[in-house]
Amino acid sequence: MATIAPDQVLTIPIRRRAKAARERQLPEAAWGYLLILPAVLLVLGLILYPVVYSGWLSLHNKHAYLPIETFVGFGNFATMFQDGEFWRSIRLGAIYGIGSVGLQILVGVSAALLLNETFIGRTFIRGVALFPYMVPTVVVVILMKWILNDAYGVLPYLLKAIGIGEDILWLDTGHVMLTVILISTWTFFPFVVIGTLARLQTIDPELYAAAKVDGAGVVRRFVHVTLPQLRNVLFVVILLRFMFMFTKFDVIWLLNGSSGVGYYTRTLPIYTYIKTFGQLQVGAGAAMSMFMFLMLVCFAMIYFRVFRRDEAT
Amino acid sequence: MNDVDWRQLFSQTGLYCGAAIIAVVCGFPLVWMLLTSVRPDRDILSPTPKFWSFEYHWQHYRNLFDLTDFHIYFVNSITVAGTATLLTIFVATLAAYGITRFRFGGREAIAGGMLFTYMFAPILIIVPFYILMRAGGLVNSKLGLVLAYTTFSLPFSMWLLRAFFQSIPLDLEEAAMTDGASRPKAVALVIVPLALPGVIAVSIFTFIVAWNDYLFARVLINDNELKTLPIGMDDLYNATVTDWGMMMAGGVVITIPALVFFILVQRYLIAGWGAGAVKG
Repeated sequence: MATIAPDQVLTIPIRRRAKAARERQLPEAAWGYLLILPAVLLVLGLILYPVVYSGWLSLHNKHAYLPIETFVGFGNFATMFQDGEFWRSIRLGAIYGIGSVGLQILVGVSAALLLNETFIGRTFIRGVALFPYMVPTVVVVILMKWILNDAYGVLPYLLKAIGIGEDILWLDTGHVMLTVILISTWTFFPFVVIGTLARLQTIDPELYAAAKVDGAGVVRRFVHVTLPQLRNVLFVVILLRFMFMFTKFDVIWLLNGSSGVGYYTRTLPIYTYIKTFGQLQVGAGAAMSMFMFLMLVCFAMIYFRVFRRDEAT
Repeated sequence: MNDVDWRQLFSQTGLYCGAAIIAVVCGFPLVWMLLTSVRPDRDILSPTPKFWSFEYHWQHYRNLFDLTDFHIYFVNSITVAGTATLLTIFVATLAAYGITRFRFGGREAIAGGMLFTYMFAPILIIVPFYILMRAGGLVNSKLGLVLAYTTFSLPFSMWLLRAFFQSIPLDLEEAAMTDGASRPKAVALVIVPLALPGVIAVSIFTFIVAWNDYLFARVLINDNELKTLPIGMDDLYNATVTDWGMMMAGGVVITIPALVFFILVQRYLIAGWGAGAVKG
């Protein structure tokens, strides 16, 4: 199985030498544990413990500030499953997640393929292509609100000038989901570019040369040489992107907050936040977090099953 | 002219068109932000957007710093992101060094488990996290934010540094130690400089996480004196009738540190991706 070479090659001698080091250093294990202790404590205390605590909270009726705390078993989950708004938030979350990940992959891989070619000014364009990812989310959202502003926005103006998108109110109820997907794509697709480009640069040029000798055209070279090589990196990128987008909070919240328009982009993370910090129902919020967590675990497991079945590692 | 040349010309044209589209789509919004931030309101609020204008001023920037608490948010963000970055580098270096240089039971499991938590989004744990922080008296404190950002950056940072440390031969530090350097000294003077691309990638990653974060800051901070830029900016935007010039000026100021940081070390970021994150 082809993997990224540098990492693999360099790992081998270390293993061998680590053995030699072990013979010289006696309290080795103790040192090892001591060194990773701070990292482990932080992750255990501030990530894993909260997850467990969240499980506990989800079984209780707890108010955010008042000292109300009663055990309700799966009551929060039962209420949640009967809540139409909950199912709606999952549906909207799926639309947002699938839509924005799909577009990010499409745009990101296309851009990476292009940026892997040789042309004048490539380094510059590569830098520019990564800009959107570096702009802080709050700036992205306010900037897009300005660019899409229905009275003074430059994009509606340009679209009108070339005769398309007449009278689209980008930030209004009807289009706001599309808008938030497009904004998310704009700001997150460079993540896909970075990953894909790093991989493209390590593809052996001889593979292309061989394919060319065999008479493969551009399209067939892409399908039979490039795509298989990108498979592993895309596997990871799609998984991560979906995980990140399905739990994305800031872009959506910053765009609409709890306003009326926000109702049309009230995905599961947004609804969880509103339940917890708006309606102050901590138990119900925790139940939704737990459900989100379980959904992601299931998704990851199915994803691994389906796409990793034929691989050795 | 034979048709191979035509094809060449065609694909070259396509290439440059594609590059131009990328440049415009990614670059134009930022240029527009910059332009808006230095224009008089009369030009900003014109029904037909002006692409060329001849009048520029810094008034929006002056207003931003004189009339709002933006400078407080800015200092807070720098403090929090800087501290979180230093702390993350320290803790992640210790951990990555421990994992690559010492053999102990469960180290692969620990490394794998840590990476697994990289997939945990803040929204999944924000509820208990808030209650925990409140119990620890860390609501409305910069320490709470620093801990949040450090913890969330750690798994990725440790994983990345681990890959870099693995690629540095043990001989080097052993040589340094034979020459009389203590182990900490050998690590600081030999290993960390060699793993510099990794350390830099980790520092950008953490800095950006902290600089960008909205959710933790929103939930943990109420006190205006402690707000970081993302929530400060959001509140400024929502407070009054939007002063677009000033908002764009704020956007420019918030973006610059992230962008400068990024441009300086872009090379290493891609190197880091290749070595650590896209394994297998």
